[in-house]
Amino acid sequence: MCQADDAGGAGEGRDEDRVGAMFSALLEDSAEDLYENAPCGYLSTLMDGTIAKINGTLLGWLGIGREELVGRRRFSDLLTVGGRMYYETHIGPMLTMHGEAGGLALELKAADGTRLPVMATSRVKTGADGSAQLIRITLFDARDRRAYERELLRARQESEADRDRARQLASTLQRTLLPPSLMTVPGMEVAAYYHPASVDEVGGDFYDLFPLTGDSWGFFLGDVSGKGAEAAVVTSLARYTLRSAAVYNPEPVKVLDNLNTVLQQQYRGGEIRFCTVVYGCLVPDDTGCAITLVSGGHPPAIVVRADGTTQFLHTHGGMLVGAIPDARFTEITAHLGPGDTLLLYSDGLTEARPVGGSSERYSEEELLDHLAASAAHGASEVIASLTELLTGFGDGVEDDTALLALSIPLPRDGDS
Amino acid sequence: MSTRFSTTTSAVPAGLVLALVGELDSSTAPAAQEAIRRLTLRAGDRLIVDLARLEFCDSSGIAALIAARSLAGRAGATIALAAVPRHLGKVLGLLGLADLFTTLPNADHT
Repeated sequence: MCQADDAGGAGEGRDEDRVGAMFSALLEDSAEDLYENAPCGYLSTLMDGTIAKINGTLLGWLGIGREELVGRRRFSDLLTVGGRMYYETHIGPMLTMHGEAGGLALELKAADGTRLPVMATSRVKTGADGSAQLIRITLFDARDRRAYERELLRARQESEADRDRARQLASTLQRTLLPPSLMTVPGMEVAAYYHPASVDEVGGDFYDLFPLTGDSWGFFLGDVSGKGAEAAVVTSLARYTLRSAAVYNPEPVKVLDNLNTVLQQQYRGGEIRFCTVVYGCLVPDDTGCAITLVSGGHPPAIVVRADGTTQFLHTHGGMLVGAIPDARFTEITAHLGPGDTLLLYSDGLTEARPVGGSSERYSEEELLDHLAASAAHGASEVIASLTELLTGFGDGVEDDTALLALSIPLPRDGDS
Repeated sequence: MSTRFSTTTSAVPAGLVLALVGELDSSTAPAAQEAIRRLTLRAGDRLIVDLARLEFCDSSGIAALIAARSLAGRAGATIALAAVPRHLGKVLGLLGLADLFTTLPNADHT
């Protein structure tokens, strides 16, 4: 090592000289050369924007000769119409106020008509007395960046399209879980409402009304635990099982027994899937209709009588459906006369948090009072009144809400 | 790991005490289900699920309680819920499940 140092001592000195000379040769004309051929565009303008100096790189981008620009054109003449407006309304005032403006995305108009996206920064050069003399502008070629942004935008549009497709799918699936329109029962008025808590996910509420025999009808309203695709599978299973079980044996307790068995079999060993449901059977008679109801862990149905009084139809002891093998369900009967309305609802309504209210959830008792105070008569009016109530809750409705109302219309004046 | 929810299992002379602590919802229910699967119950044991420090319980929590009940049933053991929060008691009643569980004022009660 030492030897090498000694031997190379004189030579090293010569090498240093050579490198130094090489650098200074490179550096000597560098200011002008760097300005002219820098990897970015430079130009200086007078305070009114008239181009005073412009570098070769920028002239190359524009495809315009120096003599056409210097002293003849303004910087804004090089921009697209949008860029010109932006320059005059934002950049100009910013330069006047702050002496600089940066991070500006502009588009240059080249002689051949092509547009060149650039990122611009500019600064005002002041004289010794502090007066503004020139505006110096640096322009960076932003074609790559613009392409990147376009790519981002395209990816975003694509993901938005995907989300729209998912929403479309969710709403299509949702429709298959609800009847497209309720069947009409002779001599009765029926109305229903469904409020999905989320547009992205399929909800877990379901209802239906369907003919059993010539003179009786089955109906149900239920709520599956959970949300999304998993819940939708159970919702679909519950809905079709209830319909087919009812045709096989219309006795309401048997219908829920059957659903309980099916849900148990389906999810044996896996995650327990269950639902709450009210199932009913109605038989129109001379004075209205007779109703048999059975509940599986569902909030109690409500009857709004013709005189405006309201009452719960409690089905004590009815268990959650699908949770345990030997679930018990109890049956109750009721009668609807002219002007009476039966309402089934899911807990999205009674668990909603009223807007502006406390964190207390809306209770079944409050619902009963609301209906008594509303003076709503008949299925359509009851549903309309509750729809309005739900709309008032706004974002307070965290769960899906399903409503189904059945009523016996009052005889019209002409009929009596 | 979520700190919102935890479980502890302890052996007592009568069987096991499983304490569910914190918020039991769809995101923490798998941890509760796992703790339930790990329980080793023998015939005649009593499983006490201590709910004294359970702050929240939704339908996935109810599912976990039902899973614990069926596990105890399969093992020939019995199950009891200790210190059931008022709201949960009301929900169990509404769901028709109140009769499925013996309840105790607290987990020390044996």
